[in-house]
Amino acid sequence: MTSIKHHPKTETLAAYAAGALDEARAVVIATHLDLCDACRAAARDFEALGGVCLEAAEPAPMKEGALERFWLRAGGARAERAPASTRAANDFDLGLARPLSAYLKGGLDAVQWRRIGPGMEQCVLDAQGYRKGVLRLLKIAPGVRLPKHSHGGEELTLILRGAYEDEIGEFRRGDLADLDDEDTHSPCAIGEEPCVCLIAASAPLRFKGLAGKIVQPFIGL
Amino acid sequence: MSAPGGAERPAAASEMNDLLARVAASGDREAFSRLFAFFAPRVKGYLMRIGLSPDQAEDLAQDALLKVWRKARLFDPSKASAATWIYTIARNLRIDAARRLNRPLPDHEDPALLPEEEPRADVELERAQRDRRIHAAFDALPPNQRAVVMLHFYEDEPHAAIAERLDLPLGTVKSRLRLAFGRIRKELGDLA
Repeated sequence: MTSIKHHPKTETLAAYAAGALDEARAVVIATHLDLCDACRAAARDFEALGGVCLEAAEPAPMKEGALERFWLRAGGARAERAPASTRAANDFDLGLARPLSAYLKGGLDAVQWRRIGPGMEQCVLDAQGYRKGVLRLLKIAPGVRLPKHSHGGEELTLILRGAYEDEIGEFRRGDLADLDDEDTHSPCAIGEEPCVCLIAASAPLRFKGLAGKIVQPFIGL
Repeated sequence: MSAPGGAERPAAASEMNDLLARVAASGDREAFSRLFAFFAPRVKGYLMRIGLSPDQAEDLAQDALLKVWRKARLFDPSKASAATWIYTIARNLRIDAARRLNRPLPDHEDPALLPEEEPRADVELERAQRDRRIHAAFDALPPNQRAVVMLHFYEDEPHAAIAERLDLPLGTVKSRLRLAFGRIRKELGDLA
């Protein structure tokens, strides 16, 4: 776990804790947090900051009789029993073990890949539930290099399997590239196995150069 | 935006933790009623700031406090503050509500209410202490940084909305946030 070298930006973690990321990006961050102790601790710090802000918030008075209505709804029942686990719910807040599984029925091995170019396959996941964003899986065969591209907005890329190398460095399982619209790169899958990435973007990729222009219609979402 | 509560807040925070611990231990209704009086209007205020109508915010605040009552036994005061726990419950409820507006979806179990399978003791031990440090660091921020941090948690599209509300350039908002987050992280540095 300590081998993770590339992490989300502080602002991205803060926005995650504030509930301000679109669903696609929130899934990518939650999956990274599942693998990265340091970022999970940082995200929890920001949640604690959210708690501080809640205490400091200007209250909006509840309607007359709100507490009586509350007890009517709560009924005579006592608070529920704790589950068998002795762990308290606030030992952690982010529910990290399950973020991606809700979107990947049957796991990574059951993904229905669609070929989008030589050595490139993708699968778009349904995570457009609230606020715009596109979540997809990309599989790059070993040795294949994506054409140089920038992003129409911010893009988060998390490595799930294999590895790639680009102008920034080497990215392996758990590493996350937090790129904004000024960054351009051309990742190349390295190692023996295909590189599988989970990508959240707010806009389709923009390719530079002729090779990219030819691939663009296939990759553009 | 009103000034944060200042000196009285830490006292209120530990009182709220004690109340929630009493609810957790024995289903104490009197303790819960006091929690409700403090947090329900704040959760409602938070939800209204983030764009919900007063009626929606009232309903969702009721839902959030109902979760607090029903799941109180899952709360451990040594791990995080009551405010942090209630904040994450309210945040997750409003995300789910926004998601349901767009498409039907089987209910995700609220992650704030799921116990973790395996302890990660090394990272989590100092949680309560960290919470107190974060509190202190927030109070020590210069007022203009404190304001953007609060708005960061209270706006649906944080950066652009904060810029508009405070009539500041977007770059200024981003740099103030970065400064504030940097200070808070630095305060925690020797604990990290």
